[in-house]
Amino acid sequence: MTMEADRHGLEHEEDDKGGASDEHSAHVGTYVLGLALATLLTIASFWVAKTHLIYDPGIPMALATLAVAQMGIHLVFFLHLTTAPDNTNNILALAFGLLIVGLVIFGSVWIMGHLNHNLMPMPQLMQMQR
Amino acid sequence: MSAAEFTTAIADPYRLGHRGPNLARGHGGGGPATKRVIVGYGFWLFLLSDIIIFACLFATYAVLADATAGGPKARDIFELDRVAWETACLLASSFLCGLATIAVAQRNQILTQAALVATGLTGLAFILLESSEFAALHAQGFGPTRSAFLTGFFTLVGCHGVHVTAGLLWLGTMMAQFYAKGFRPDIGRRFLCFSMFLHFLDVVWVAIFSLVYLVGTRL
Amino acid sequence: MFGKLGWDAIPLDQPIPLIAGAVVMLLGLGMIVWVIAKGWFPYLWKEWITSVDHKHIGIMYVLLGLLMLVRGFIDAIMMRAQQAMAFHAGGYLPPEHYDQVFSAHGTIMVLFAAMPLVIGIMNFVVPLQLGVRDVAFPTLNSVSFWLTATGALLVNVSLLIGEFARTGWLPYPPLSELRYSPGVGVDYYLWAVQISGVGTLLTGINFVTTILKIRAPGMTYLRMPMFCWTALASCLLILAAFPVLTATLAMLTLDRYLGFHFFTNEAGGNAMMFMNLIWAWGHPEVYILVLPAFGIYSEVISTFSSKPLFGYRSMVAATLFICIVSFCTWLHHFFTMGAGGDVNAAFGISTSIIAVGTGVKMYNWLFTMYGGRIRFTTPMLWSLGFMTTFVIGGLTGVLLAVPPADFLLHNSMFLVAHFHHVIIGGVVFALLAGIEYWWPKAFGYRLDERWGKAAFWFGLVGFYVTFMPMYVVGILGMTRRLQHYDVADWYPWLLVSAVGILILMGGAACQITQLVVSFLRRHELRDTTGDPWDGRSLEWATASPPPVFNFAVLPQVQDAEAYWDVKRRAREAEELGGQPHYAPVEMPRNSPTGFVCAFFATLIGFALIWHIWWLMIVGLVGAYATFVVFAWRDVPEYVIPAEEVERIDRADRQARQEALSGAVTT
Repeated sequence: MTMEADRHGLEHEEDDKGGASDEHSAHVGTYVLGLALATLLTIASFWVAKTHLIYDPGIPMALATLAVAQMGIHLVFFLHLTTAPDNTNNILALAFGLLIVGLVIFGSVWIMGHLNHNLMPMPQLMQMQR
Repeated sequence: MSAAEFTTAIADPYRLGHRGPNLARGHGGGGPATKRVIVGYGFWLFLLSDIIIFACLFATYAVLADATAGGPKARDIFELDRVAWETACLLASSFLCGLATIAVAQRNQILTQAALVATGLTGLAFILLESSEFAALHAQGFGPTRSAFLTGFFTLVGCHGVHVTAGLLWLGTMMAQFYAKGFRPDIGRRFLCFSMFLHFLDVVWVAIFSLVYLVGTRL
Repeated sequence: MFGKLGWDAIPLDQPIPLIAGAVVMLLGLGMIVWVIAKGWFPYLWKEWITSVDHKHIGIMYVLLGLLMLVRGFIDAIMMRAQQAMAFHAGGYLPPEHYDQVFSAHGTIMVLFAAMPLVIGIMNFVVPLQLGVRDVAFPTLNSVSFWLTATGALLVNVSLLIGEFARTGWLPYPPLSELRYSPGVGVDYYLWAVQISGVGTLLTGINFVTTILKIRAPGMTYLRMPMFCWTALASCLLILAAFPVLTATLAMLTLDRYLGFHFFTNEAGGNAMMFMNLIWAWGHPEVYILVLPAFGIYSEVISTFSSKPLFGYRSMVAATLFICIVSFCTWLHHFFTMGAGGDVNAAFGISTSIIAVGTGVKMYNWLFTMYGGRIRFTTPMLWSLGFMTTFVIGGLTGVLLAVPPADFLLHNSMFLVAHFHHVIIGGVVFALLAGIEYWWPKAFGYRLDERWGKAAFWFGLVGFYVTFMPMYVVGILGMTRRLQHYDVADWYPWLLVSAVGILILMGGAACQITQLVVSFLRRHELRDTTGDPWDGRSLEWATASPPPVFNFAVLPQVQDAEAYWDVKRRAREAEELGGQPHYAPVEMPRNSPTGFVCAFFATLIGFALIWHIWWLMIVGLVGAYATFVVFAWRDVPEYVIPAEEVERIDRADRQARQEALSGAVTT
């Protein structure tokens, strides 16, 4: 029985190539390009953080944009999001995840901002308790 | 689905996700997808749920960032040089893991092990740098119990660090599996998950160094 | 050596938990001794404990859920009795014990009764309805189940060793912080929920992958049965919401164990953030429970109306709509915390909007029944009971969704009545209907209708008598979780409510009797054809109980109602489809990984609760070793030869052929 199972196991995985990657993803060039772009964007981010050439209140936005760009680079060049075996489902799942991430982060910040704003200042609260 | 594909499905309907060359993509009537697709997709979903954990920690950090309780502010304690080195280490680790992926695809044991050792060493360097940062902060009395801001900071960055540490443990297990069992399909699928995990940790780190460290020094 | 654990952890001074705990422990031990003495242990180990068969795991989930349902129901009886007695008096439960009872009731009912029942039915039904052999990750499925069982075990251990949380089913800080809850109660809550939460998350991953990637050939998305769609939506919500729970409880844990300042009063901590995050999980959690319930109703109503589900596509759309919007309403649980007009308005509107999706479904069920030949079986009765009950419960929810009204009703008994109305009327009714409906598939015999109907009527009447008075006392100003009170206006209503719980106890007794009676009469209630209800989806296309491989040959789906389509053609042709070509079937091998892993998880949880650090390290190393051993195994699958498959399938085909000829002649 075990022998048979083994044989079967090998048999079906023929089309599977056995390795961790399918033909679309295994190129050194992809990784090198990804590394180059990521390095470039990282350097840009550190430069933005240190420079005084950019309008100060715009810096967080600039950094956020660079971060999103770099995450995109990682997703495409390292995680092979575009060439994965079943892209539609992967992208849909990612979109769902990002929607939830957005809801949780922006929802929390919005709600907590309002709550903090409406909260009675501590000294006044202490006064009332007396 | 074409008629030819349909006949293939009929001719070999006994596979719970073993076969189904390229017709089994899951969105239509092709029948069960291949094991590789199934495992990869399941792990992708796990990573998405992990991203949501990080989202909660980011949200909490954002809410608590101003609650310094008389303690240090972000720009007082962040050292960008160290963060730059950490970033370089993790990026290198991610890249080397990509090279390991190629070595695995070629079924080259020596190259695979070498690339994985390099991946592990750069990852370890990252962990050591981060630990030294945490230890230094702690020594100055700026540990996570000092203020809500530091609580949020240590938890968010520390959670990522714990993930990387777990990744290193997994990496060791992975190397042992390749060494002892060779390039078996199921081990190949596990390696697929591992490489996704490592790349994913680098994505999270991009968010951390940009939005916590770099933005923090300019606020 | 043993951390905080000492002999004083056993509540020798409190007879109620002591006796209850001792009885449960003795029963458990007696059971184990009996099983071993009878020589059943090897069978139990091989077929159940180490099983990775989705059907067996599903049945174990349902069993766990039913046990915990009884435990939670006992807590409910205790609370109703206390409030019936505590007018101008102390009642029989001291406050610190009463607080533990209501906390345990909520925690157990939502996380250890409703969740395992929902997940158990999903486990059993989804692969069968999709026409496949198992879920995507069978061993992981077993791990999920055993981790859930670990959580349930830890909650019940707290009866006898230490105490449970006194903070309500969601441990709001600062009350749940170390300063105000120094005991181990909150720690029991945290680790029990955390460990079972990991199990639930893994289930979510497993089922989303299964439904999206493993379906019978020809089953496109829009040919999936409605229950699979709702299971998909529910599991997507698990994926999205349970990480939030994990993160939130981890933060509270860090506060309690390491002195962090997430939610403390000192050093800038913000307790409101906990309410915000926990409800970002808590609200989707409601829909995680109720969406599969909607799926069950859809299957039951369509089958027993002998009609296809009306508006299938709108149903799918409504399900996905609810799935997304349920993540946009969480603030309505804390309107009164003071976020202000615009925030409250936004979330009030989104809360009202989500009712639209449910409304669509309600009309679809009505139109499914319209013009159908309705059979009033027990599952159908539960579904009809649901339709009326849920509409009333939903309407009170719309009241609560209006922020100004909520300021009056927040945390009152009105709220308690509302969520029991939707959870019992929506989820529990569905689970009972679902168990009744799929029981023949699982065990090969139908349940006794007479006792089932008695259970339904007691349940329905008892439900209204128990919970309608709570709306009244809520409007009269009674807040929830009161251990005693001295308002004369409330007293008669609380007495009525106590009578209601007596009727519900009658319902529970009928339900248990039904199981016993049906087991005794199992030969005359035998389901020989595998299709006792004249069903429409693929689970009825295989024998009852199904063979381990579910389907001898994966079905080729050609219609939205896969099995109905096959049956219709067979009836027209007056014969079954052609003899299929059998081939060997490959199935995943059993694995003790789940059980062993849960054993170590129990050690870890217990060690963390009592600060026994060496035991925690032992547990962690053990869990890691378990996974390495699993990773090292060489033969993950075994093969069932084609002749064996053919032999099993031939028996099923013969029974169906006889049934078909019988139907044709009559």
